[in-house]
Amino acid sequence: MKFHQLACRFCSVLCLGALITGCAVGNTYNYAIGNTALPVKGEGEISVGVVDAREYVLSGNKDPNFVGLQRGGFGNPFDVTTTSGNPMAEDMTQHLANALTRAGFDVTEIRFSSPDNAVILTSVKQSALDKNVVLRVREWKTDAMMKFRLIYDIDLSVLDESGVMLASVSDRGDEVISGAGFESANSQLSAATFGTKISRMFNNPEIRAALTN
Amino acid sequence: MRIVTFLALAICGLILSGCSSQNLRADVDPSSDVAEMTSFYVQRLPSDTRGVEKLIAADLLRRGKRVSHGEALTPDADVDAIVTYVDQWMWDITMYMLELRIEIRDPETSYVLASGQSFRTSLVRKDPEGMVEEVITEIMREAEGL
Repeated sequence: MKFHQLACRFCSVLCLGALITGCAVGNTYNYAIGNTALPVKGEGEISVGVVDAREYVLSGNKDPNFVGLQRGGFGNPFDVTTTSGNPMAEDMTQHLANALTRAGFDVTEIRFSSPDNAVILTSVKQSALDKNVVLRVREWKTDAMMKFRLIYDIDLSVLDESGVMLASVSDRGDEVISGAGFESANSQLSAATFGTKISRMFNNPEIRAALTN
Repeated sequence: MRIVTFLALAICGLILSGCSSQNLRADVDPSSDVAEMTSFYVQRLPSDTRGVEKLIAADLLRRGKRVSHGEALTPDADVDAIVTYVDQWMWDITMYMLELRIEIRDPETSYVLASGQSFRTSLVRKDPEGMVEEVITEIMREAEGL
């Protein structure tokens, strides 16, 4: 095989590789930031924690810092992870804590070692606070190719100091939230959409009452 | 030869398909009364040098609303809602607006009562006025439950 034929094949493979992977490899989204404004104003101490109950994370099929997929030119998927490298639940906890702090609360972050209800109740009781916000994430992932899609299934609960549920609200969906942009735009949009979803849940009358009474 | 032509066309199609993607959506809190609001303050995005806040204000004005705009976080007079936005631009022969997100916020809490966004790549681009018009129309359509 002549040199130019070899070079030609090498370049073809390179081009194909670039087309297949594009800007799809190693994307990260930052859920910890965001200026989410909640519809409630409050005061006093409150705890907040996020439970990652995503099946594929619990089974070990995906890492806890998995937040979605970025597809290459032929739809081939690559994992998107958190920018911090921390579990998604930790970044979301920080996002929620910032939002509640801006709303006037004195916030303590809780980390749950397991999605089991018993573990959650124990952690809540240990916080010894009157109000405890728990977000259970059964599904949350984005899928970016031409469109930017979000699949989610989340529960927001307010518990008292003994773990009794004062209010709870759920939301789930599978939505195209935009066209897929570059990594930074997708990251901002993901965090903003998370903020919109949770702020809508905080606007539920029962949740508002549980937080402000 | 035919295979080469087919492959070349397929690759061109694949590459150019990225140039014609569009998405328009709005999300309105059902408990809000955005469609009934009459006065707005459009807060300029600090990094915006293209005057998008004026375009949004002009569009709301055309819809019969009372509108002011400026750089301050809060308006001088009471309003029903504060409007914020994020615009993203791209270059393809000329600069064009790739994406516009408009948010209508509660003046007291900054809570996002409604949001809308338009995403248009190069081949389906619209001028900024057109982007503003379609996003606000979509928000109002959603708010009116149409």
